Amino acid sequence: MTVYLFIDLVVAGLVTGGIYAVVALGLNLQYGLMRIMNIAHGEFLMLGAYLTYTLVRATGWSPLWFIPPMMIALFLLGLALHFLIFRRLAATSLDQEAMEARSLIVGFGLMFIAQNLAQLIWGGGMSGEPYLDEPIHFGEVTVAANRVLVLVVVAAVSSAMVLVLKRTLLGKAVRGMLQAPLGAMLVGIDTRRLHPACFGLGLALAGLAGGLLSMVYELTPAMGEPYTISALIVITLGGLGNIPGAIAGAILLGLAETFGMYYTSPSMKILISYGVLVLVLLLRPKGLFTK
Amino acid sequence: MTKTRFLAGLTILLTVAALAALPALDSPFVQSLALTCLMFAGLAVSWSMFSGPTRYLSLATSAFFGLGAYCTAWGLTHLPWPVVVAAGGGAALLFAFVIGLVVLRLRGAYFAVITYGLGELVKHTITHFEKTYSGTVGRVMTETPSSEVVYWSVLIITLLAVATYLGFGRSRYGQALRGIGMDEERAATLGVNPMRAKLLGFCLSAWFAGALGAAMAVRWTYIDPNTVFNPFIVFQTVLMSMVGGPQSLGGPLLGALVFSLLSEFLRLSLPYLYMILLGVLLIVSVLFLPDGLVGFDWRKLLRRKSASRP
Repeated sequence: MTVYLFIDLVVAGLVTGGIYAVVALGLNLQYGLMRIMNIAHGEFLMLGAYLTYTLVRATGWSPLWFIPPMMIALFLLGLALHFLIFRRLAATSLDQEAMEARSLIVGFGLMFIAQNLAQLIWGGGMSGEPYLDEPIHFGEVTVAANRVLVLVVVAAVSSAMVLVLKRTLLGKAVRGMLQAPLGAMLVGIDTRRLHPACFGLGLALAGLAGGLLSMVYELTPAMGEPYTISALIVITLGGLGNIPGAIAGAILLGLAETFGMYYTSPSMKILISYGVLVLVLLLRPKGLFTK
Repeated sequence: MTKTRFLAGLTILLTVAALAALPALDSPFVQSLALTCLMFAGLAVSWSMFSGPTRYLSLATSAFFGLGAYCTAWGLTHLPWPVVVAAGGGAALLFAFVIGLVVLRLRGAYFAVITYGLGELVKHTITHFEKTYSGTVGRVMTETPSSEVVYWSVLIITLLAVATYLGFGRSRYGQALRGIGMDEERAATLGVNPMRAKLLGFCLSAWFAGALGAAMAVRWTYIDPNTVFNPFIVFQTVLMSMVGGPQSLGGPLLGALVFSLLSEFLRLSLPYLYMILLGVLLIVSVLFLPDGLVGFDWRKLLRRKSASRP
C-alpha cells in the first residue's frame, strides 16, 4: 500500500466518521437525556438532504445558504414532535425501560411516515446535486473539494459542541442532566425547557449532516437508515452521554468501515457495521472508554 | 358456566372447520386472503408468546421467518414436506437458542436493537454466502406442493401456536415469564431462573415463526434474502400485536385480522399512504392504547361521553 492510497483512505474514513459524529451527537443527547431511542433519527438526516436539494434545484444557489434555515426548520419540527409525542410518552411511562421500548416503537412509526412521505413527494431514488466536486491538490494527494468542506464543517460543529458542553453554563446544565436527571431538577435546572431544546438540536444536527451529504451522495428515501445504525454503534462505542467518547467512536467506526471495505468489498459495508454493533453490544455494552 | 364453555368450544370448532374447508370454495382470492391472515395471526401469536408477558421487545421475527424460508429453499428437493417445515422451525429455534444465550442478558432498547441487528446480520451473511458459493442471490423452487397443502400447513401451524400460547401461558414457565415482565429481579429472588424461562419462551416463539417462513416460502416460488428477511415482516407483526394488545390471545388475533385485510386492500392501490397510516396508528396506539384495542376500556369511554351530555 502506497502512502498516497493510505492518505486517501484516511481522508475518506475521516469524512464518513465526521458525518457519523454529527448524527450521533444528536442521538446521544436524545437517548442520554430523555431515554428516547429515536430509531427515526436518520430520517431527519434524509429530510434535511431532500430539503436542501429541493431548494438548490429551485434557486440554483449554493447549498450552504440553505443549510442554516433548514436546520432551524428541523429544530422547530423537533420541538413540535417533543410537545406532541415524547412529552406525553415520558409522563405515562412507568420506568426508563418502558420509555425506551415505547419510544422505539414510536420511532418506527415516525420512520414509516417520513420515508413514505418522501417517497410520495420526491419519488424514488434520484441523484443529488453535486456541489464543489472539483479536485483540490495537496502535493501528491487529490481530494474532492466538497469532501474537504464536509470535513471542515463537521470538525467545526463537533468542536463547538464539545466547547459549549465544557465551558458554558448551559453545557454544565446539560452535563448535569446527563449525569443525574433527578439531581439536575433538584438544583433548579429547567428540564422542561432544556429537554425539548436538546431534542430539537438533535434533529437540527441530523439535518446538517443531511444537507452536507446532499452535496456528495445520491438521495433516496431510505438513505437515513444506515446512519441511524451507525449512530447507535457510535454511542455504544463512546458510552452513553459521553460526547467526546462518541466523537472518538465515530472516527474509529468511519476508519474501520473505509479500510474494511477496501480490503474486502463494498458489499461488506453493512456486514461490517452490523458486526461491529453486535460485538460491541456483547463485549463492551458500557462503551470502549469506560474506566 | 358449563353451557358457556360448551358454546365457546362449539364456536371454536366451527371456526376451525370452516377455515379448514375454505379451499373447497375454489376461490383463489379468498384462499390467499385467508392465508395471509393466518400467517400473520400465527406470527403475531408466536411473538406475543414471549414478548407479551416479558415486555422484551424482540425484533428477530424476520430473521426466524427468513431462516425457515431458506431451509425450504435448500431442502425441498431432498426431504418430504412436513420434515422441511419442521426443520425450518428447527433452524429458527437453534438460532434463537444460540443468540438467546447472549442477547437475553440485555434489556430495554438494547435488546430490541441487537435482535434487529442480528436479523440484518443474518440477511447479509446469507446474501454474501449465496453470492460467493452458489453464484446467485435468489433461489427458484420447482416441484412445490399445491396451494391447498400450503394453506392447511399454515392453518395447522397457527392453530398449534394458539394452543401453545394457551398451554404455555398457564404453565410454570408462562407464570415465570409474567413475573419477569413485572420485575425481573423480584422474580429471580422468588426462585425463578430467569434465563431458563426466557430462553424457553424465546425458542418456542422462534420455532413457530421459522415454521411459518418454511411453509410460506413455496408461495413465492422465487425467494431472495430481501423478500424473506424483509424487516417489514417484523414491523407488521409487532404492530398487529401491539395495537391488538399483546397481553391476551385476542389481541394479536384481532390485530392480525384487521391489518391483513387493511393491507390487502390498501397496500396495492395506495402503498405509501398505507405505510403512513401504519406509522400514525403505531404512534397513536403506543400513546393512547398501552394495553391494545382488546385491553382498552370502551365502556368507560362511552360512559364518559353519555355523562358529559346535557
